[in-house]
Order: sequence, then structure tokens, then C-alpha cells
Amino acid sequence: MKEHFDTIMDIGEQMLLCGAEIHRVEDSIERMGLALGATDIDVFIITSSMVVTIHTPEGSFTQTRRIKNSGTDIDMLHKLNQLSRDICGKKLTFDDIKLRFAEITKAKKYPLWAEVISYVFIAGAFALFFGGKINDALVSAILGIVLRFVVLFIDKFDINKIFGKLICAFIATVLSFTAMKIGFIQSIDKVMIGNIMLLVPGVGLTNALRDLFVGDSVSGLLRLIEAVLAALAIAAGYFLFIFLSGGASL
Amino acid sequence: MMNSEIMQIFAAFIGSFGFAILYNIRGKKLAFAALGGFLSWSLFLILEFMIESEPIRYFIVSATTTLYSEIMARVLKTPTTTFITTALIPLIPGGSLYYTMANAFEGNLESFLINGIITLKLAMALALGVVVVTALVKLIYAWNNKKNNKRLDKNL
Repeated sequence: MKEHFDTIMDIGEQMLLCGAEIHRVEDSIERMGLALGATDIDVFIITSSMVVTIHTPEGSFTQTRRIKNSGTDIDMLHKLNQLSRDICGKKLTFDDIKLRFAEITKAKKYPLWAEVISYVFIAGAFALFFGGKINDALVSAILGIVLRFVVLFIDKFDINKIFGKLICAFIATVLSFTAMKIGFIQSIDKVMIGNIMLLVPGVGLTNALRDLFVGDSVSGLLRLIEAVLAALAIAAGYFLFIFLSGGASL
Repeated sequence: MMNSEIMQIFAAFIGSFGFAILYNIRGKKLAFAALGGFLSWSLFLILEFMIESEPIRYFIVSATTTLYSEIMARVLKTPTTTFITTALIPLIPGGSLYYTMANAFEGNLESFLINGIITLKLAMALALGVVVVTALVKLIYAWNNKKNNKRLDKNL
């Protein structure tokens, strides 16, 4: 059991990094631990930290992990979930588990161009969705491209996520305002909404609620606060431009 | 009128599809995740003929979408998160959120309050739908497990 402990922790950590619900990670670790020979297991997980103690005939062992920078990677989460099921059901060997875990973490995300296209899709589609015209959608889509590269920049320099949202919102406001001044669009609202949809913490909020109501109150609250802060940061970015431009009328 | 609704449904589909890519959803799951966004908004528009209150419609759609996600998760043996996060995207009240913000700045107290309350109501309705179904599904599972355990005890 002892040699498996690191791997179990790695799997759990990676699940959290992919944006799994707390409940799911705790459950997976417990099941894997028991399947691999622990007599009992104590698991405490919040979004930013894991504390796990396994009890075995050779004694008890504890490990903690600090979780930073979690994102959303559903495909990897799916595979990790499958691996944890297989560990419980199929009696995989130590090397099998190691090998599969390594393979899973190596799997790539969609390439950058695919992400740029989805930013274009999302920003354009939601400008239309909220009642914008075709020119609103076009401007919004172009801003989407810009935002993807801003996000790339933010990731590269490891800028705090909440502050990153503020920067994105600020740039989106500046650019949609410019587009209006040039005359491509009549008003900035639809373009702004299209781009706000890219920034709004939708996943954060749903996950927060799901955590809260299955009994993981601490994690739920942490995620809820993160989501609220992100929303406030978006508003702050918007306000920042208005203040800097001396209250330009919209 | 009809035209703009078809466009909305189409936009909801494209938007959900875009998010599904960002969340790295692949293969069959990608199709069903995007379909979820399409279905949720279609249902919302259909309900428009029957129910006047927007928050109540939000609640029904969010509950149905959560149920869809729970079912699809079981069918495709994958975490519920896969479907719920993308399928609920069209329901995010991005529009009223923006107008709340803009009116707050412009000092239109009345419009700010109206939009703020709408945003809050819609967000609450959305949350309630997710929570109610999630809790129910958990309850049914717990109940089933108990029944199975009892059966096991008897056999022993």
C-alpha cells in the first residue's frame, strides 16, 4: 500500500487541477486507498489543499498537497476518473497504474488555434444571442481573438487570475469603445456582453453550488468567493476605463 | 420574431460548443455537451408560451438541464461536470449583469436596481434548479445503496 500512496495523491491532485468536484476527489481517493490495501483512510480536501492519512497494518502515513492554479480540463478528468475506477475494479499492478497516469497527464489540450476559434465563436454567438446585429457580432468576435492572446500573456507571466479578469475586461471595454467611436457599432453593450460571457465565472459558480449542497461547505464557499471576486473584477475593469477616460458618456 | 429565436438557439449551440472546446471536452461527449446548450435554450423558448415569469422558466430549464447532465453522465460514464458546465452556459444572465454594471456607473439608480434584481433572481433560479436536482439524484443513489446493502445482509 505504502508504495501506492504517492500515486493516489498524484491522481487526486491532478483531478483537482482539472476542476473536479471536491466530493468526487475525496470519494475516488477513499475507494482507491481501500482497494489498494489500506485498512482505513481519512481524507480531507478543499480546493487549495489535500490532507490524506492511510492506515495500514505497517502503520499510518500522512501526506498533504498544496493545490495551485486549477483550471478546467474535462477530458483529463474523465480519464483520471476511469483510471480510478479501474484501480478499484481491475486490480492493476503498480507499474500499470504509473504508466497510465503518465500517459494521461501527457495528453494534450486542443491547440491554440482551436481555442482562438472558440473564443471567436463564443464572443460572436453571444453578441447575437443577446440581441446584437451582425456588425456587433463581428466586432465582438474580433475582440474575442484579442482576448485569447491577452489570456495567453496573462498565463505566461503568471498574473493572478482575478487581476487577469480585470485586465481582460479593461481591454475589452477600451476596444469596444474604440469600435464605437470609429463607427463600426452603434452602442457597446452587445459587444461587451459577448466578451463578458468569455470572462464570467460560470463553471466556478456551478461547481461552488454543487460543492456547497453536497456538504463540502468550505470548498463551496471558497469557490463562491472566487466567482464573486471574478465578477467584481470584470466590473472593475470596465469602471477603470470609464474613470481613466474621464467619464466618457456611453 | 421567429427568425430571431432560431438565431438565438443556433447561437446558444455555437456558444456552448465553444466552451466545450475550451474545457477540453472530446469526442461523443463534445457533441452531447453542445447539444445540451441547444436543448436548454430551446426549452426556455418553448416555455415562453406557457409560463410568463422568467425566473420560474429559468428554474425549470436549469433543473431539466441538470437532469439531462446527470443522465448523460451515467450513459457515457463520465463526471456530470462535463455536461452541466456547458449546457447551462446560455442561461448565464450575462446581459442583465452588464446592464446592472453599466447603469451603476451612469448613475441610473432605477435601472440599476431593476437590472440588479433581475440578475439576482435569474442567478438564484439557476442555482436552485441545479441544487434541487443534484440533491435529489444524490438522495436516490443513497437510497438505492441502502436497499442493496440490506439485500446483501440478507444473503449473508
